[in-house]
Amino acid sequence: MTITRRLALGAAAGTLALPNVVRAQAETFRIGALNPITGAGSPYGTGMQRMIQAAVEAINSAGGVNGRRIEVFAEDTQTSPQAAVLAAKKLIEVNRVRAILGTWSSGVSLAVIPLTNEADILLMHTSGAPALSTPPANAKNFGYRYQATNDRFGRAFAEIAVREGFRRPATMAFNNASGIGNTDGFRRAWAAKGNQNGEHVVYEPNQPSYRAELLRVLSTRPDVIVMGSFLPDTTIILREWFQTGTPVKWIIPAWAANPQLVQALGPAVTNGIIAVDSVSNEGAEAFTAYDAAYRRAMNQPGASNVYAAMTWDMANTLALAIEQSKSFETGVINAAIRQVANPPGEAVSSFAAGKAAIAAGRKINYEGASSVLDFDEFGDVTPDFGVFFIENGQFNRRYVVKI
Amino acid sequence: MFGALLVAGIVHGLIIGLAALAVTLVFGIARFPNAAAGDTMTAGAYAGLLAHQASGSLALAGGAAVAASGAVSLLGYLLVFRPLARRPVASLLVAAIGVAFVIRAVLGLIFGHQQQVFQVPLAWPIEFMGLRIPPMDITLATVAACALAAAFGVLHLTSIGRQMRAVADDPDLARVSGIRPLRVMIALWLLAGAAAGIAGLMLGVKTVVSPEMGWEGLLTAFAAAILGGIGSPAGAVLAGLLLGIAQEVSTPYVGFTYKIALAFVVMLAVLLVRPRGLFGRMEGVR
Repeated sequence: MTITRRLALGAAAGTLALPNVVRAQAETFRIGALNPITGAGSPYGTGMQRMIQAAVEAINSAGGVNGRRIEVFAEDTQTSPQAAVLAAKKLIEVNRVRAILGTWSSGVSLAVIPLTNEADILLMHTSGAPALSTPPANAKNFGYRYQATNDRFGRAFAEIAVREGFRRPATMAFNNASGIGNTDGFRRAWAAKGNQNGEHVVYEPNQPSYRAELLRVLSTRPDVIVMGSFLPDTTIILREWFQTGTPVKWIIPAWAANPQLVQALGPAVTNGIIAVDSVSNEGAEAFTAYDAAYRRAMNQPGASNVYAAMTWDMANTLALAIEQSKSFETGVINAAIRQVANPPGEAVSSFAAGKAAIAAGRKINYEGASSVLDFDEFGDVTPDFGVFFIENGQFNRRYVVKI
Repeated sequence: MFGALLVAGIVHGLIIGLAALAVTLVFGIARFPNAAAGDTMTAGAYAGLLAHQASGSLALAGGAAVAASGAVSLLGYLLVFRPLARRPVASLLVAAIGVAFVIRAVLGLIFGHQQQVFQVPLAWPIEFMGLRIPPMDITLATVAACALAAAFGVLHLTSIGRQMRAVADDPDLARVSGIRPLRVMIALWLLAGAAAGIAGLMLGVKTVVSPEMGWEGLLTAFAAAILGGIGSPAGAVLAGLLLGIAQEVSTPYVGFTYKIALAFVVMLAVLLVRPRGLFGRMEGVR
């Protein structure tokens, strides 16, 4: 039989006439995995995306959510707000996703959240900018942050500065919401402890030299420089600093002071740098499951990518909330997220366990791989912070700071 | 502090100047704004990086950067710009943006998007008349000076250079005088690519190498090319130096956030007073 255009059209129209049930079987709950595969977030992005897919695989093999499979549409933010907005538009308008998971940098999340708000869908991200907690960005309370705010990072920096006995801290911030959020958080917390703040410099990205900025800061003779920075600019600044021969200590967020920085600059330049990161919930059962999945997908330990643990938790909390709410409506799912993630309730560490408990009518409390994952009124979590000293090119975790 | 910033500004300015030279040569002779110049720089930086990793020699890295950027540039001409010659400038500009995307995507595929660095020895600065100059800045400035000398040597002392300037001046007159346009164009794209390659190498040594590095610096290169007077090689280099020094030296006074804006304020100011740019018109290449 030859298929004419009229016949094909007729057949297509015919499927519309089928009973709803037949079509619904193929229907999925669509989510977008919008991660920094390229650009500054590239060390983390691929792992983040794989862990959304791995978690969804586990969820689907446990029977899916409310009888539907979850379907993942993957996109790359390029760690650039412009590219991320295009990708988010495509996910929302073409793929019709009902939630977007895993935007990484603050600039990207701040650019994407107006779109998700407009489309009435959830955005789960790992960005630090304090502005993502409150209106206008989080006007509908559809935004969830699985990472500490930059302000909390800044508070952790201040705790560390006190503990290490620094007296004259200066601050340098990359000119965006995240960088300035770090240093502002530090300066507020430092002043609140009754101390005097030092020189503060905000610098621009993509400069061939940061000598002017650096000389200004060093001329005030600080004993430590607290950074709100990213990898490329930190690489350039530290290299120029080392060539000035001025001794000073550094406190740097771990997304900038990471093994790639050591690889770029060598152990001599990076020796003694204090790198600070939120630590995953390493003792938890959920972390064990995540770690196994991460090793399978990436051939590396799960602890090497704190953001991948966060995206793993995103997929699980979202799925549990759908299960809890018995609905596919954003508003109803949104109301169920704190119900499944926060105490009180039976502690569960996987979707399958949570689904069983919900079916049995019990209130659950998902304890995540990234943190215990209790959301405050702004949709923010408070993880603990690991304090790493770079010594001979190794990252040695000396202690953990709680704020 | 002023002196240290001046040194940083000169090195910064030489990078801008070389990139602007690549832009302005193409503009003067092929007569369109080559948006692929930035990514040609990036190709040079990666080639230099590979050569440097293999040999540890900055001189070999320079040679590799020049060869690779020249090849990329020539390939862009033969495959894209030559078939499109005599089309409107807008078509060529859009094609150039396309070429830029292709180069960036290929580099991203081959090398990944993670930053890479030149493992150059870090040394303490040399004291010179109270100025503290990092030795690497002296090396880079020397490299740039040699590259510029070579480029201007080709333009002014060789027969092909004279032919290039003749085509820049009046393509039709050049043709009836027996100048073969294809040879001139090949020489032009090789020269522009080589200048971009050295600029990319310098930027890579000073900062970090990533597929986006050249594209991000393109705007400043265009600013310098316009400021110098479009089509004027000497103007482009001088304008690059001016912008680099202005950015570095002024920042303590205007604030670091306005560093980039300042370059464009300088450009606006000069163009308001002197719309032709520093060195006049198309015939500047002469």
